[in-house]
Order: sequence, then structure tokens, then C-alpha cells
Amino acid sequence: MTTRAEFLSGLRREMAKTRGLFEARTAERPPDADLVFETVKRQMAERWPQALERFQAEFERVAGVFHRVARLEDVPDVVRAIAREKQASRVLSWHPDALGLDLRQSLGGEGLSVTLAPDDDPDGEARRVHREAAAEAEIGVTGTDWALAETGTLILVSGRGRPRSTSLLPTTHVAVFDRHQLLESLEQVGSMLEALHADPARRMSGAVINFITGPSRTADIELTLTRGVHGPKDVHAIFVEGR
Amino acid sequence: MKASIMITCLGEMFFPEVGVAMVKLLRRLGVTVDFPPGQTCCGMPLFNSGYHHDAALVAARTVKLFAQAEHVVVPSGSCAWMVKTEYPGLLKDDPALRTQAEALARKTHELSQFLVEVLGVTTVASPFQGRVTYHDSCHLLRGLGESRHPRTLLQAVPGCELVELPGSDECCGFGGSFSVRLPEVSTAVLDKKLANVESTDAKCLVACDAGCLMQMGGGLTRRGSRVRALHLAQVLEPGEIA
Amino acid sequence: MSETQLRTPFPQRAHAALGDAHLQEALTIATTKFIGLRKESFAGYPAGEALRDRARAIKEATLQRLDQHLERLADNIERLGGHVHWAATGDEARDIILRLCRDRGVRMAVKSKSMATEEIDLNEALEAAGVKPVETDLGEYIIQLAHEKPSHIIAPAIHKTKGQVADLFSKELGGRFEADPEVLTAVARKELRQKFLEADMGITGANFAVAETGTIVLVTNEGNGRMVTSLPRIHVAVMGMEKVIPTMTDLMIFLSILARSATGQKLSSYTTLVRGPRQPGEVEGPEELHLILMDNGRMRQVAGTLREALYCLRCGACLNVCPVYRQIGGHAYGYTYPGPIGILLTAMLEGTGAVKDLAHASSLCGACKDVCPVRIDIPRMLVELREQVDREKIAPWGERMLFGLARRAMASSALFRLGARLGRLAQRPFVRNGRLQGLPFFFGQWTRTRDLPPVAARTFSERWKDLERP
Repeated sequence: MTTRAEFLSGLRREMAKTRGLFEARTAERPPDADLVFETVKRQMAERWPQALERFQAEFERVAGVFHRVARLEDVPDVVRAIAREKQASRVLSWHPDALGLDLRQSLGGEGLSVTLAPDDDPDGEARRVHREAAAEAEIGVTGTDWALAETGTLILVSGRGRPRSTSLLPTTHVAVFDRHQLLESLEQVGSMLEALHADPARRMSGAVINFITGPSRTADIELTLTRGVHGPKDVHAIFVEGR
Repeated sequence: MKASIMITCLGEMFFPEVGVAMVKLLRRLGVTVDFPPGQTCCGMPLFNSGYHHDAALVAARTVKLFAQAEHVVVPSGSCAWMVKTEYPGLLKDDPALRTQAEALARKTHELSQFLVEVLGVTTVASPFQGRVTYHDSCHLLRGLGESRHPRTLLQAVPGCELVELPGSDECCGFGGSFSVRLPEVSTAVLDKKLANVESTDAKCLVACDAGCLMQMGGGLTRRGSRVRALHLAQVLEPGEIA
Repeated sequence: MSETQLRTPFPQRAHAALGDAHLQEALTIATTKFIGLRKESFAGYPAGEALRDRARAIKEATLQRLDQHLERLADNIERLGGHVHWAATGDEARDIILRLCRDRGVRMAVKSKSMATEEIDLNEALEAAGVKPVETDLGEYIIQLAHEKPSHIIAPAIHKTKGQVADLFSKELGGRFEADPEVLTAVARKELRQKFLEADMGITGANFAVAETGTIVLVTNEGNGRMVTSLPRIHVAVMGMEKVIPTMTDLMIFLSILARSATGQKLSSYTTLVRGPRQPGEVEGPEELHLILMDNGRMRQVAGTLREALYCLRCGACLNVCPVYRQIGGHAYGYTYPGPIGILLTAMLEGTGAVKDLAHASSLCGACKDVCPVRIDIPRMLVELREQVDREKIAPWGERMLFGLARRAMASSALFRLGARLGRLAQRPFVRNGRLQGLPFFFGQWTRTRDLPPVAARTFSERWKDLERP
């Protein structure tokens, strides 16, 4: 088996034979990631209304369903309505600390069963239980870390109380967000990701960041577009004004 | 304004009428035309098949033949491309030849580019009548970045009705030796092109490259089509339609 | 590709493809669609052209420090609790995976689409070792059931009709399914959902790996990439060593043009950034993450003629516009990677000898270079491969003789003129209605389907005498 040292020394031998094809630079990085992070946040504090408009247009273009509510307390109503429309009864949700609201309190008992993601250190049993619930759930409700206007993309970071499967296994995914998550461009996302990784202990508790742009789709059979291949068939985004 | 004709191997042997049309056209526009003797080929067939050493020898020969020329006009996008883009690299090991090659590259022009960019002419009077459609030859389109000038010139001929060819930027299937190395694929690609041509109901198919005209013309006559394949020069100077 | 198929020469494989009416129709529809989608996407994206230039520059700059980026990537992944393996060959990469399977008791592995794993024939090796590999990308799932290889880099089952898929599913899964893509997709969803939940291992490729953060990036549309990297207890990613990029800022540039080039989407449905195995507090995610960095012929090209081919993002745009690919489809090429870039990659992975025919499977039209998101000059490298083939004397002697003659005629105007005169004589029996038909020898390759103009009665040089002014 090739060792790292062997591999790299072989590579260096090859690299030494050439100066390359042309003078080239990689992308210029923000020199101070935290500063850029703050700058973007300040910019977006002003520009969020335009970004929201653009987000809605792009989100709908990729078949997302957009909702707008005045307060966080109005979110359960929307979820209830979606559940009724889909004739669904099993809801999976991020932990209230991650989502900002406790759906089991607001939805539980109306013929809807709500499972919350665990927030403590799970053992094997807890994992098994959650996986079963995730596999059975029909609607998954999550928060949003960033909402990218340029492409109508929801960006979700995984972690404690915010499992990956909530936005993946159920046939309907509902994401809740407010103006603080809005970003305009992929370039801004890059800056935010640079900052995020510069201090992982503070900002990321999970290993995966998912960019979600509309429902799961494929055109592998005769180039006919179908949705809901493995991931959700429908994606809803609820914008909360009041926050 | 003086211009030297680079006739190209296909022009010399198979389409001399295109060369004659070009000469008459240029003279009509006030250009003094000469023809350096001893021309053979630009060497592209050798180059494309990987015989670079041989192609370099041909390039050196060509560079010397046109050393005295003020402008060189070529009725073929691929040959113009070869001279302008590949000659300097082929001759990079001989600094003197390389310099000459760079000079030749600068003063060599495909016909439509010469007319519009060097002579500044966009309207050429011609009695040509009929609906035409235009095929973008690969090396003229992508190699030399030219798609506008031929269309401008065609549209300026009053009796000429230019209709856009669907898939005009798609290859005709010639590709030099490709046409005989993989003749079936070449013909399948050609059939697609000709189906598009016939869909335009044009009387003539126009192109600026002898290779394309050989391929497309050969396909058109074989299928008994009424569409004629013509070089741009023959539309602008129709006296030379054989 | 099966042994038998490779033993038939390329022109024969091309011939078979040309005669397959259904394949022809599928290819025309699919490639035309992809071309339109890509065109539309870039037409509405003026920033796109400059971003392509930047992407190309990033790829070149990364190669110039490739060792440092790979080291940084490996350090970061290991710091996060992942494992990095260094595979000089495809065999080694396979062995690493098989060993893992053995040591960890893996019986079933779900796979997200990965051309790198196709390259090394991983599935066959897994099956032989008693591990069941399950392809989960719908197109790959289809061809796995059909025991075929992918025919397009991003749409592997492009050559199959919905009827064929319905029959395939009915046969392999039991049941009778309608030839309706919605129905068939639902069938695949149900079948594969179980597999995701039960699998011991998830195997993916990697579209990129960000050195600065130790992140593996997967660009997908179906969601299987996410399943495969979250549900099984082990995640193995197989990645060509050239896929590393320096930073998140660089990543955004590639993301902005990759999906547009492949399918015309601004972004694919899912872009997944995986940074190590699951973290404490995560209720899901693999316990173990393994990244296999693979050479398999790439390293040699860092200073080789095919260096630029290392920029490739595997988007498939060049396939869609290639007049040859559009006529013959992916299988006729005979190797893992088809189309224009496929010829270069085959030379990279299998050597020049493997492409002595394929290097000529191009009219050098340049459409590929036009659409490549990182502006790889594929035609130039094809010509260089032809030169290598010539230098290594792999070209057939008849061809070399003909080109020898051509060369001499081009070097001497006297010979050239003689050639014209001889041609005029020799062609006489073949002139019909002012055109040449039914020519013998290899010229017949032309006249079988096309007319040729005869050598003119008077060449241009001869007519010039009349045109010459005193």
C-alpha cells in the first residue's frame, strides 16, 4: 500500500518537471474572515427586502412553495395546513432550541404525531429510535442557516438537535427562516463559509452543510423530469416577518 | 492596396473557380492582386493527424513564399486559422522563421474578414438572386471567432435572401481525414446537416471553407438535391459559378 | 466494458451504434435538450464567462501547488477524525475498500454516482468479495440492473427508453410496472429507501474537496448523495487526486458554473459539504469517514501533455455538443469515460495505445472547447495524442505511407503539380455528370456516400495565366 510520503514524493517529482501551463492564481480570499462576516451581515440588514423578493422568485422557479407569516407563532398553522393538504400525520422536527419553536406543544394531539430531534448526546438506542421516526415521518420541519436569493437555495448546517434526515427522508420538507438568514449571492455564501470554518468550535456542531435547491429531482429516464426520487418531493419555505 | 492570394490545396485543384471569383471581386474593389507561385498546401492535414515535424517543414516553406506579401487573402477559414494560429508555434525552434511566421499571421486574412476589416467593405454589389443559407465552418467560427461578416456581406446583396440555417454552428462532418477515417460517422453528421439545409428551402448553401463545401456539396449532389453549395466569393462574384 | 466488446475495433462499434435507430433517437433528443439548457443558462448569466476564466485559473494554480493542497486536505480530514488513504493505482483503491469491508463486516454498500469508482471497476470487485453494491442514482441503478456500463457521464441511462426501464424493473424486481417515468421513479424510491437504511457502508465519489477545511463536496440532484453519507455507519469517498481545490471561496466559483454546464440548473438540488465523520451530539452520520485519494494515471500528466485534462469537472457538456458522441453514444467509445474528454482520460488511464483509433474519433470542430466550463483545449490535446500515436509508430503503415506521399507533394510544387496531372488522368473512368463517384481504395470511403468534385481541367495556377496583368 502506498504511504502518504511515497505518494507525495512521487507527485513532487512530477511537479518539479514543469512550471505549469500559465501564470494563474486561486480566488482571492477575504483577509479577515470575521470582518467580512460582519460586513455581509450589515449589508444584508439593509438589503434583505430585495433579497427576500429575489429569494421567493428563485425558490418558486425550482418548484418551492413559499409562505409568509407575521410571527413565529403562526408557523404551526402553516404546518397544519400542509399536513392536511398532504393527508399527513407524522411530523419530524428539529429540536426546539434549534428551530426556535416547539412543534410538539403547538401541533401535538390534533391527530398529528410530532417527533422532536434529540438534543443531548445520543446513544445507540436513541439513534435507532430517531432513525425509525425519520423513516416514517411525512413532513420534516427545520430551521435555515442561510437562504440564498441568487438561486432560491436553503442552506442547512447539521448538528446537535438538527439532524440531516429531517430535510431528507420525509416527502415534504418545511424550512422556517427570517430576514437574518437572507444572503444575496454565492460569493457571500463563500465569505460566510470561510468565517464559519475559521472558528468551528463556536459555530458548527455538525459535520454536514447542505445546500437545498428545490425538491429532489431526476431526469434519468428519457430526460423526463420527476421529483421526489430519494429526497423530498416538496419543499416549503416559511418566512417569518416579525423576527 | 495589394493582396496576395493563398489559393489552398483544395482551391487549387478542385475549386479554381472560387479563386478566380475572388480575384475578380478583389480587383473590382480596387485591390491589386498577385499570386505567389509554387503554392501547395498550408500543411493542416499533416498537422491535424499529428505529423508535426512535417507540418513545420510545410509551414516554413509557406512562410517564405509569402514573405513579400502585404496582405494574404485566403478563401478558407481553416487554412487562415492554420497560418494565423498554428504556424508560429510550429516554427518556434527557429527564431527567424518564427518571427516571419508571426508577421505572416498578422497579415493573413480569411476572405470575409479581409473584405470587412481590412477593406472596410460591407456592401458588395452583386447580381446574385435567390434564397441562401449560411453554414458556419468550425475553424472560421471557433478558431477565428467569425460569424458576423459573412452574414453581413450576404445580407447586403439586394437579390439575396439570407435564411438562418438551424444548427448552423454544428460541424458538417468533414474534419479533414476524419471524413475518410470514420466515413460512416462523417456521413451521419453530414446527413443531419443537410436535413437542416433542406428545411430552409434555400437555393444555395454558402460557406467560407473548401473542405466544408466539398463535404456538403458532395452530399447534396449525391442525394440529387436542388440546393447548390457555393463559396461566399461566388455569391459576391457570380460570374464564376461553374 | 466487456472483453468481447473491446476486441471489436472502434469503427465496428461505431457502425453498430449508427445502426441502432432507437439509440440514435435517444441521443438526438437528450443531447439537443442538454445543449439548449446549457445555452439558456449561460445566456442569462453574463458573469459566467469571466467565472469560467477564473475557474480555469484556479485549476491551473491548484496543480502548481498540488502537493501542498493535498497535504492540507489530508491533515484537516484527519484532524476531524477521518481517515485518508493514498492509492497509486485503481487496484490499490479497490483493495483498500475491500479490506475495509472485510475488517468492518460490511455486507451491503450503497453507492452514490461516482465515475471514479466506475474507472476502477469497483462493483465487480465488491461482488466477488461477497459485498453487495447497490447503485442508488436512478440512472446508475437502471444500468446496474441491466448489467451495463454508463453511456453518459451525468445521465448514465440516456440510451434506455422508459419501456425498456419498465421491462427491466418488472423483470428484476418482480411485478408489472407502467412505462411511466413517475411510476418508475416511485418504484426506485421505495426499493432503494430500504437499502439506504440497511446498508453498512456508503460509497461516493467527490466533485471537489476543499483543502482549507477538509470538506468533501458532492453535487447531486436526487438526494442519494445525502442518504449515502448520512445513514450507513461508514462513508468511503473515492476521489481523483486532481479534484482538490484550495478554499471555500474557490468552491463558490466552481459551483456557480458546474450545474449550469451540466444541466442548465443554477445549482443542482443538493450540494453537500461533508466535513469528517459525525460530530458529538449528532444523532446521525457515519462513525467513520474514509477518503481515498487516487492517482491511477493522473500524476504522470501533471508534467504530461494531458495536464489540462486534469482540470475536468466531469460535467458532460463536451459530450452533448460533440458531433461524434451525438452519433455514436457512450458505449461505442469502449471505456469508462466517453466523448471528447473521455478520449483524453482514456489515454491518461490506459495509455496512448488505447486511443490509437479514438484519437481520430473527432472532426476537431472545437465545440467541446467552446462549452467546457474550464476551457480545456481538447482539440489541441487530441492532435498531440495523434502525434504520440504517430511517434510511437502505432498508426497503420498504409496511413503512414499516404501521409509520407502527401508530405512530399506539399514540400515540392513540382510534385504537387504532377499530382494534379496524374489525378486528372486517373480520375477519368470515375467521372459521372461532372462528379467523381465509385472511386477505388480508400477514396471509396468518401465516394460510397458522397460525390467528389473532379480535379479541375485547369487548376487555379493554370488559370492565373489568363488573369495575370502585365
